[in-house]
Amino acid sequence: MDQNDLLESEHVEKRLSPHPLSFMRLQSLCLFLIIWGVLVGWLVNFSEYKDLLSGNEWFPVLVWGLGLLLVGVIASLLTIQWSIFFLYLGVFAGAVGLMFSQGWLVESGIFIPFYSVAISIIGFLIVELYRRSHKYIISSLRIIFKGGVITKRERTLRYDKITDIDAKQGIFGQIFGFGTIIPISQSGFGLGSDKSFAAGGVEVGTKKVGFLGLFGGGKEVQTPRARSYYELHGVYPYKEIKKLVENMVQGHVITPYQQDQVAFQKEQVDIQKQMRDLLKKQIDSKEDGEEPES
Amino acid sequence: MTVSPVDVVIFAPLAPLFGVLLFWFIQLLFIESQKYLLSKIWNRHKPLCRFTNFLGVLYQTICHALGYTVTKSGISNFYVSVDYGKVAPKKEKKGIFEWMSNSFLFIGPFFIPALLLLICFLLIKGSGVEIAQSIDYTFAEGLINFGTNLYAFSENLFLFLVSIDLLHPPHIGFLILLIFLGMGIRPSYIGEEKQRKVNMLYDLQNIKAHIFHKPLYILMLFLLAYVFSYISVLLKTNWYTSLLSIFGWLSIVAIVSLIIAHMIILLIKTTDEIPGHWRLLPFLTIPISYALMRFILPFLTQKEYIASIALFVMLISTIIVVFLLLKYTTNKLKTTTKMKESRIEDGPKRSIRK
Repeated sequence: MDQNDLLESEHVEKRLSPHPLSFMRLQSLCLFLIIWGVLVGWLVNFSEYKDLLSGNEWFPVLVWGLGLLLVGVIASLLTIQWSIFFLYLGVFAGAVGLMFSQGWLVESGIFIPFYSVAISIIGFLIVELYRRSHKYIISSLRIIFKGGVITKRERTLRYDKITDIDAKQGIFGQIFGFGTIIPISQSGFGLGSDKSFAAGGVEVGTKKVGFLGLFGGGKEVQTPRARSYYELHGVYPYKEIKKLVENMVQGHVITPYQQDQVAFQKEQVDIQKQMRDLLKKQIDSKEDGEEPES
Repeated sequence: MTVSPVDVVIFAPLAPLFGVLLFWFIQLLFIESQKYLLSKIWNRHKPLCRFTNFLGVLYQTICHALGYTVTKSGISNFYVSVDYGKVAPKKEKKGIFEWMSNSFLFIGPFFIPALLLLICFLLIKGSGVEIAQSIDYTFAEGLINFGTNLYAFSENLFLFLVSIDLLHPPHIGFLILLIFLGMGIRPSYIGEEKQRKVNMLYDLQNIKAHIFHKPLYILMLFLLAYVFSYISVLLKTNWYTSLLSIFGWLSIVAIVSLIIAHMIILLIKTTDEIPGHWRLLPFLTIPISYALMRFILPFLTQKEYIASIALFVMLISTIIVVFLLLKYTTNKLKTTTKMKESRIEDGPKRSIRK
């Protein structure tokens, strides 16, 4: 952050970026791709089942693709993020396209592990690039969140606007000492919602005349959630940063005693204003030669 | 040979029990030694130590949860973190059920994770282990049979380990599980600020308190063991010794995993003394030497020896690299030069005048 970007009497307390392992969810997608690709390669080329899989040139591709898509569906359902499935679908489609265009279908047992490793390496690099694009600045007046690989985003949050702080630390975070802190603003920024929907259908009647009914219900739960650009994602050392943010927020919040003081001062100012108006009125009436009203 | 009835009725059932106790105690000693080594690398490798602690807490919590499941108490709350684990039952059961679930908590971590690994080993190996047959059912025979069973299993396990193929995914998976078991068989501490140190004495005190809390149950357990032994004698089978031999096998699996964990921690501890990026060299030597051997050996030797030779070369080359680095980059392993050379270097001032 440039010195010109700082406000008057503002100074930087901490500059942070996410821990290298804080995007493990994304990295594990690449990791699975490597493990599954190598495993399929081993099954096709070296294992005792290689005769089963080498019967048709399509077998290895189908086994690999089905495994990939199945894990994609399960991961998507668990994380409520269909992008995982489409990502794996894209990887599979890419592999099939390459094999067709280059005529590598015959050598699919060799192509699949190499392709998986290559795509995973690219994936790891993209995740690292994404991680490095995050910058968090904790200053004396506000928190500045910056990020974006192509489109640059920036969020500024003043401490007096923070109503809640949500903090979480996964197992990797506990082991390596990093964690995520979500400051929730008065406007509700930093809150997301979990939706669940259940539906049921019933068919009544015979083959000729039938009636199909569908009914269902939904449920929504507010939960602290923000994009990694708008939260202190995977910051290290977690406990220290959490304490610092909490102290900063506390320092910018008016305590009940201070609130009483402000109210009292306001009362005093009101009384003084009334006295001033009264005196002014008396002076004006004296100048006009009228007797002041008692 | 005449067989004493007193021996068969009173002493013989104790033989495999003593064997199990002995191997479990050896396991405890290895765990203690591993914790000592971990404490030596704590300052420089906190994440690794926290990870091992997490594994220990995880095993312990799963065993406790298993105890509640077996006693049909149900699980209302299950919580695991790096330094603390908690399981709460749905129904608080007293008496034998409480005692059983506590047995799973205190004794389970020594055997249950190892049981999982034993199943994996038998699945990978694809064949069983030979069991010794009983004839006289005496104390001595019980002890010999227990030892024979353990020897047969150990032979199988060691033969598998020395010929483990690190390019074979199930073998790698087994090795990783073995390392994970050895690294975290017991947690080093419980509580965020290391409130409770978990050492051998802590475990033994817990088990002692558990036994003396309900001595009647232990008596019942002994009686049960004796009854089972008598049934085996009457039916002329070796069920009793075989069952207790499985506990011995579990101890052996745990001890082997602890030895491997010791080797890894020792490597980390030793390489910490090597300055700069040189310390990475031993860790790079491991995969490079193995891959190189796997590439070269098919041209030089028979197929069945390739994995073993490659493993041997990998271990030896790593040890040599560590020793060379210690000798040339640190003051360790420096030997004194000959006295004559020292005199020449020091000059006439340091020489002894008569």
